[in-house]
Amino acid sequence: MSARSFDLGRAAYYTLNGAIIAFLLAPIAIVAVFALNPTPYISFPPVGITWRWFAKFFANDDFMVSLWLSLRVAVVVLLLSMLIGGACALALVRGRLPGARILTAFFMSPLMLPAILTGLALFQVFQLAELDRPVWGLIVGHTLVAVPYVLRTTLAVLANFDTRVEEAAAILGASPTRVFFEVTLPLIRPGVIAGGIFAFIVSFDQFPISLFLVPPKGETLPVVLFNYMKFDLDGAIAAASMVSILLALSVVLLLERVIGLKAYVKL
Amino acid sequence: MASLADTIPGTLPGPRPARPSVSPIAWLVGPALLLFVVFFVLPFGTMAVLSVLSGNPVQNPNVHVTPRHYARFLGDDLYHDALWSTLRIGIITTCAALLIGYPLAHWMARMKSRLGHALLLMAVIAPMLTGIVVRTFAWMTILQDRGVINTTLIGLGLIEKPLPLMYNELGTVVALVHIYVPFMVLTLTGVIGRIDERLEQAARNLGASRLRAFREVTLPLSLPGILAGSLLVFALSISAYVTPFLMGGTNVLTLPMLIYQQVSSSFNLGFAGALGVILLAVSLVVVIAYNHVLARFSGQEGLT
Amino acid sequence: MTEKIRITRRATLKAGAGAAALATFGAPAILHAQTATLKITTWGGKWGEIMKGEVLPAFEKEFKCTVSADQAFPFVPKLQASPKSNPVYDMLHTNSNEQWSCVELGLVEAKLDHKKVPNIADVYPYAISDKIVGVSIFTSAIGLGYRTDKGLKKPTSWKDLADPALAGARGGYIIPVNSLGQAHLMMLGKIYGKGFNDLDAAYKALEALKPIKLVDFTGQMEKMLLAGEVSMGVIHDSGIYRYDGQNQPIEFAIPSEGVLALEQVLNVTPGSKVKELAYAYIDYMLRPDVQKKLSETVWYSPSNKKVKLDPKYDARLFNTEAKVAQLIQPDWKWYNARKEEIDAKVTRLLKG
Repeated sequence: MSARSFDLGRAAYYTLNGAIIAFLLAPIAIVAVFALNPTPYISFPPVGITWRWFAKFFANDDFMVSLWLSLRVAVVVLLLSMLIGGACALALVRGRLPGARILTAFFMSPLMLPAILTGLALFQVFQLAELDRPVWGLIVGHTLVAVPYVLRTTLAVLANFDTRVEEAAAILGASPTRVFFEVTLPLIRPGVIAGGIFAFIVSFDQFPISLFLVPPKGETLPVVLFNYMKFDLDGAIAAASMVSILLALSVVLLLERVIGLKAYVKL
Repeated sequence: MASLADTIPGTLPGPRPARPSVSPIAWLVGPALLLFVVFFVLPFGTMAVLSVLSGNPVQNPNVHVTPRHYARFLGDDLYHDALWSTLRIGIITTCAALLIGYPLAHWMARMKSRLGHALLLMAVIAPMLTGIVVRTFAWMTILQDRGVINTTLIGLGLIEKPLPLMYNELGTVVALVHIYVPFMVLTLTGVIGRIDERLEQAARNLGASRLRAFREVTLPLSLPGILAGSLLVFALSISAYVTPFLMGGTNVLTLPMLIYQQVSSSFNLGFAGALGVILLAVSLVVVIAYNHVLARFSGQEGLT
Repeated sequence: MTEKIRITRRATLKAGAGAAALATFGAPAILHAQTATLKITTWGGKWGEIMKGEVLPAFEKEFKCTVSADQAFPFVPKLQASPKSNPVYDMLHTNSNEQWSCVELGLVEAKLDHKKVPNIADVYPYAISDKIVGVSIFTSAIGLGYRTDKGLKKPTSWKDLADPALAGARGGYIIPVNSLGQAHLMMLGKIYGKGFNDLDAAYKALEALKPIKLVDFTGQMEKMLLAGEVSMGVIHDSGIYRYDGQNQPIEFAIPSEGVLALEQVLNVTPGSKVKELAYAYIDYMLRPDVQKKLSETVWYSPSNKKVKLDPKYDARLFNTEAKVAQLIQPDWKWYNARKEEIDAKVTRLLKG
């Protein structure tokens, strides 16, 4: 293999990935332009820079309150789904359950059903139980669609699991409980956390289920944005979007620093 | 791989039990099962029941069982088309997301620098955080007749009339792929990251080209991730309706969009429920079949 | 060793964050537990802002109650899914076509008790006509919006939308989900056929409008016009007038065949436990001062004859007997009965 073809392959690899990143970030660039553009509609190229959309966003109580609510709900959903999903994945792979395969497909099904039906069905059940859209109902609805993600990623990690580490620990005298907590759990942590990131994002950005489960004065940000947009489609929603991105990214970065996501990629 | 699970209950590697019994770990499925039974099976069950009734028993005590919602679906090829559109868009989106997501996942998994990894992670996650509605409008800005792509191409003299990139299946797929590539990348990157690089190295040392080492070592080992990622994206894209709605005009009618129409403007919960049941049933069949086929190919068992 | 520490740290972090997050939810303020709660629906955007900022607080103060306003559209499915004896809304605010669907489903009162809404005596006839279930508090006019900088003549007829020069540059709605699109369809039957009920002529005319860009709500149509994506589209006057003063090259045209009414209709749910309050609310929304405030915020035409609008609004909105007589009210009862087949037919037709 000549040095030239080596470089060509490398160049192709990086170019390809660069193009993919550009594809992923292009709409965000557009949203940023929209958030700063003085025109009241999305237009390209931009005609100027203005901060009035951000000002409008921060001045709007509805936006701020709902942003805060969305963040809190997302954090709770993150934790709940990591616990429930991680445990479930372990049970399915290690528990020797009969029908584990069918169970796995079953746990995936919330993702296959249009969320509007899930939301409506949950709403109906809450109404029949005489509960008028409690906040925990919203959390439950989000967790329902978040758990499959954690399940998926944890299962994927478990599939490539090198059980010799556990064997080694057992041979060295560790009790099954100790092996579980000090070897197994840390090793599946990457999968659980990757799923947790999904869970956070999915909850933060969740729309159709929230639509049915939010009480008045308890709306999440996507719902507020959508209602705003049906009536007034202007730069304020782009500003809202940019703020959400920055906030949510900060949360993810925080997770990264504290838990060390980089470490999860390697053993 | 499943072998150790048998011996963990005992502290010493003694004789294996004749028939492996359900391990105590199985109880960990409890919380998930509880959550799902109460908040998924129950609500969805009521919806499925509604789909065979002539009305809503909560509102109207005089209801009877009727297959007319299902008959309606079977009887009109508009609805069959909607189902095929849904599946077709799902498959195309999944393949595209896989092709686009894999290189990125590979790069991210092999990235050595922590900063680089963090930056890539942010770049991958940021699209997911834009918010479904705003993101769709951003794509409209890019794809519409007077959007970024068309104005640039026309400005450069490469085309005369704007390309129809929106209000059709192409625009919908592009927008969906954009949303789901991050899911694919994040699912794959963990799995690829766990593949010992030395295996690839060994193959290259034995004379294989980079490409061959990838094809015969990395790729097969990342199959569980590919499986998990594509199932996830497929499931999501066949249930998506906000994006196709805002991107496709009436050119694209998928089953989820039909469900949305039935719920929000025809107020026909029975028919919507029937469509939901049909969508779920078909998707489960496809998913299980996919599982079997891929499991057969990769020799993997125990990962649905 | 480090694994153990990491678990502990992760576990405490998780527990701490979880507890903190849960703690912030807290119990909702129960200050209003003693007063009655009126559950209503309302639009978002500017309408929602002024409702929540001024109109509703004033109502709450005067009637000593709490108003719980749901902005998360769609409303009817939620009303459908809630038990009749304890409906999720006491008062439903939506467009006329939906009110008609609701009355068929038994979700709203078929006839409002006019004695309980004194201000009804002062409304224009259209607000309580036989085409309305409940009472219309405002209306807009559905006509044609167009760009003034494309060299187009101001449209004088609905047929101008079919101009070949506008191929691919005209806008319409996804009919199954949008009432302007549905109203437009009926209008097509009238101008190309025997009348509003002539669906065959309407379908033909709709097909002739292809290629046409379809959106699902008027906000999108506004943006298409503003961005130049379409040069002409079906839209209500409020959607154009709200950009007044912003120097945008768009205008509203009233076709000679007439404009269709897009009514904002209020109604009461039969199972409501605070019916008196609901009626009081409807009456409140018909007060001239409240009507004026809302009308001038979102450019809706008020239904109370006694409203005196500022000159610039007065000039363009439908605020006199004569002007109001121009409004054509669609027969939603008739349309809704055929909605399913119309939806299927137009979807097939426009699939291209």
